[in-house]
Amino acid sequence: MKPFDIVIVGGGGAGLYAAMEAMKANPGLNIAVLSKIYPNRSHTSAAQGGANAALANKAKDDTVEMHIFDTIKGSDYLADQDAVEVLCSEAPKIIRELENMGTPWSRLDDKTIAQRPFGGAGRPRCCYCADKTGHTILQTLYEQCLRRGVIFFNEYFALDLCVDGSRSRGLIALNIKTGKVEAFPAKTVVFATGGYAKMYWNRSSNAAGNTGDGQAIAYRAGIPLKDMEFVQFHPTGLRKSGLLVTEGARGEGGYLVNALGERFMSRYAPEKMELGPRDLVSRSLETEILQDRGFDSPAGKYLHLDLRHLGAELILSRLPQIREMCMYFEGVDPIEEPIPVRPTAHYSMGGIDTDNYGRTVMEGVYAAGECGCVSVHGANRLGGNSLLDILVFGRIAGRAAAEEAGRFDPSPISESEVTAKEQEIRSFMSPSGHYERYGSLREDLGHTLGLNVGIYREASKIRQGVEEIVILKERFSHVRVFDSGDIYNTNLLQVLELRNMLDLAETVAAGALVREESRGSHTRTDFPTRDDVNWHKHTTYTLEDGHPRLGFKPVVMGRYELQERTY
Amino acid sequence: MSDSVIHQKEESREVTFRVHRFNPQVDSKPYFDDYKIRLEKGITVLRALNYIKEHVDASLTFRAFCQAGICGSCAMRINNMSKLACTTQVWDELAKSREPDVIKVEPLRNLPLIKDLVVEMDPLVEKMKGYSNWVESRIPEDEWGRKEFLVSEEEFLKYDKATDCILCASCVSECTILRANKEYVSPAVLLKSYRMNVDGRDSFHEQRLAGLVKDHGVWDCTHCYRCQESCVKHIPIMDAIHGIREDAIAERGTRDTSGARHAEAFMEDIEKKGKLVEATLPIRTNGVVWTMKNLLPMAFKMVLKGRTPPPPQLVKSTKDIEKFREEFKEMTGHVAKDHAKKTGE
Repeated sequence: MKPFDIVIVGGGGAGLYAAMEAMKANPGLNIAVLSKIYPNRSHTSAAQGGANAALANKAKDDTVEMHIFDTIKGSDYLADQDAVEVLCSEAPKIIRELENMGTPWSRLDDKTIAQRPFGGAGRPRCCYCADKTGHTILQTLYEQCLRRGVIFFNEYFALDLCVDGSRSRGLIALNIKTGKVEAFPAKTVVFATGGYAKMYWNRSSNAAGNTGDGQAIAYRAGIPLKDMEFVQFHPTGLRKSGLLVTEGARGEGGYLVNALGERFMSRYAPEKMELGPRDLVSRSLETEILQDRGFDSPAGKYLHLDLRHLGAELILSRLPQIREMCMYFEGVDPIEEPIPVRPTAHYSMGGIDTDNYGRTVMEGVYAAGECGCVSVHGANRLGGNSLLDILVFGRIAGRAAAEEAGRFDPSPISESEVTAKEQEIRSFMSPSGHYERYGSLREDLGHTLGLNVGIYREASKIRQGVEEIVILKERFSHVRVFDSGDIYNTNLLQVLELRNMLDLAETVAAGALVREESRGSHTRTDFPTRDDVNWHKHTTYTLEDGHPRLGFKPVVMGRYELQERTY
Repeated sequence: MSDSVIHQKEESREVTFRVHRFNPQVDSKPYFDDYKIRLEKGITVLRALNYIKEHVDASLTFRAFCQAGICGSCAMRINNMSKLACTTQVWDELAKSREPDVIKVEPLRNLPLIKDLVVEMDPLVEKMKGYSNWVESRIPEDEWGRKEFLVSEEEFLKYDKATDCILCASCVSECTILRANKEYVSPAVLLKSYRMNVDGRDSFHEQRLAGLVKDHGVWDCTHCYRCQESCVKHIPIMDAIHGIREDAIAERGTRDTSGARHAEAFMEDIEKKGKLVEATLPIRTNGVVWTMKNLLPMAFKMVLKGRTPPPPQLVKSTKDIEKFREEFKEMTGHVAKDHAKKTGE
């Protein structure tokens, strides 16, 4: 079989942009996009709020410089400043590029792309399409990929990389529709599989499939991960389901209110109030709940996000999806009642360690988007920077892979490698001795992470978490897939995804334990302040003897000196 | 009445999910499995299916991803209507069930079945490609990213609602034309085509329209409104379909397809005769050769079995019909004028 020039794993914003850009760079390339779902289902579609770019349409004095500074400050100075510069200076161009290819951005009166305020940003620079920004971007990219004739392998689940020393030869994947294990020999592989925050399960806003597949595959192949302990909790998840109410709801003027009727953000961010950065607002909600100023319910304590004063017209025109979600999943109409919310695991700042071109330490392997860690978000991502990240770095990785693809001719993937993977999968269907159900393992994982490696962390609890994850990994070796069929075996997929989450959970907990400081989303009650002397550095994780070996990497500094981060 | 009062008070209920099953590896034909589970009020159909998969039958197969009503993965037929399982409350469905406490769950129709509740989506993607469901930008590609198109609120509103489509294929599943003709363009693809055609940034309007008026295209729709009724995002899909038709008549006249000619033959009959002359409709719509080849054999059979309708009676020119004719003429006159204005004739 002739190797592909590029195999892109994941069909969200980063994967599709990479595919489009690679084809644009060299239309003769043989490119495949593998996705475990139809690409238009990807979680990019769930991003509601928007994408930041200093277009200066709304605030005429906005600049790329200010965007860079806001992002670095928002990251609690853990972002690499050269990478942030790439992100922010590419932003206006890429937003216009999307506009030029059909993204239906909302508009200002002067007919330019609309922008609104977002948390942690000094100017209103978040470009949006009502509250369906990610959905419309994903649709546009999918449409443009169809236009270009990108070859999609839909409903293929990537299993593992095939590696020769320091170089990848492609990967092996499961065809979900047939159950066949297939080889994808490739000169280059781009991972764009999204984040891993679903490991927090019910306390996560993520789609069921955001299980960090690309990160786990890379990790198992010996590629280091970076900054995994940084998991962002979004302040406003719906009480029952964890589903997200966009920051746009606060951008439009929504209030956060506790059971005493106070707009409690005045205690934590008197100037920015509800529009403080996410980590700070999440901690504020958690503190209100811990100090007993929340509302009580069987589904747990919660607070109110009140939009009523915005009026029906604004809610219906700017936040229609949010209103629907509140009605479907919470039984609350935000026009009439406040929305019950609490923080929910939302975004993974950590991921596959890459350089500014999406390259990993393994030749021929790239990563982009939430799956990768350049790092532009550092210890805390600003709202509106994740869509931007997938677009900018998806494009860069696509271009870089296209340039590299011409230069290598990898050795083929052998039949025996494929057979070995087939057997591995079969073994899940008939474990020896007693067996475990994936459902209870998954619940336990989410529970222990939420309890021990959640918003507030401390050594004894994290240690408890690490131990429990190791036990869960042992239990997983007895997990059983009950559906023994080949065709569309979702039971098997759930188990394979759980394996990926378990591998990554161990790195999250290990990083949380070792990082003895509080920075961005990582808050240690036993080390409540930022410690730049000892901890102004990235954490890395390499798989060794089945467990993560930790290392460190310096942060790339630039124009901006370390400062205390206040809002 | 008293029943519903009791139901409102109940916090939990025994519910039977009657679920369509089919695994092509072992089953020769589809069947239904009943899963009886106790559920609390406030549970969605998707959460109930997840529960069944986890605790009762791990082989039960369905798609689900975001679980928040935005990705479109979990569209399925619930109590004979296509919708998203993740946004459908069990209690709401129970109120509609024909058999008490039973909810029927089936795969989408009009797409090939893969297993249980999972259908093949590729035919829909192929149609999106076939009808160029993308913006072909007026700005050349090597100049992308330099400047914005300026779009007024009015222009934006033309396509805003149509971009809500999440391609869940509920409309595809409910479409009555697709039941008869799988090659039919599909409501979702018409909606997307319309969205592209009214976008001022697009330069492919003419070619896309030329494709839409061919056989299996926009003229095949019979206005049953089932697509719009089933749309999970409440998009007025029929407005899009009408929009394409108006556009097609304005741009291309009514001679494109059998559908368009059929519509014209209708108008002509009503205008001239005050009623439809169904016997000659096929000839005027599809031509003599097509009619002889496709309908004559059936006509013979009908004659043999004595099932032909009696010969048409002439309609007497009553006052009402006269009045209708006048109004109709006036109406078509307006249309012709509008048409002339639009095409600049």
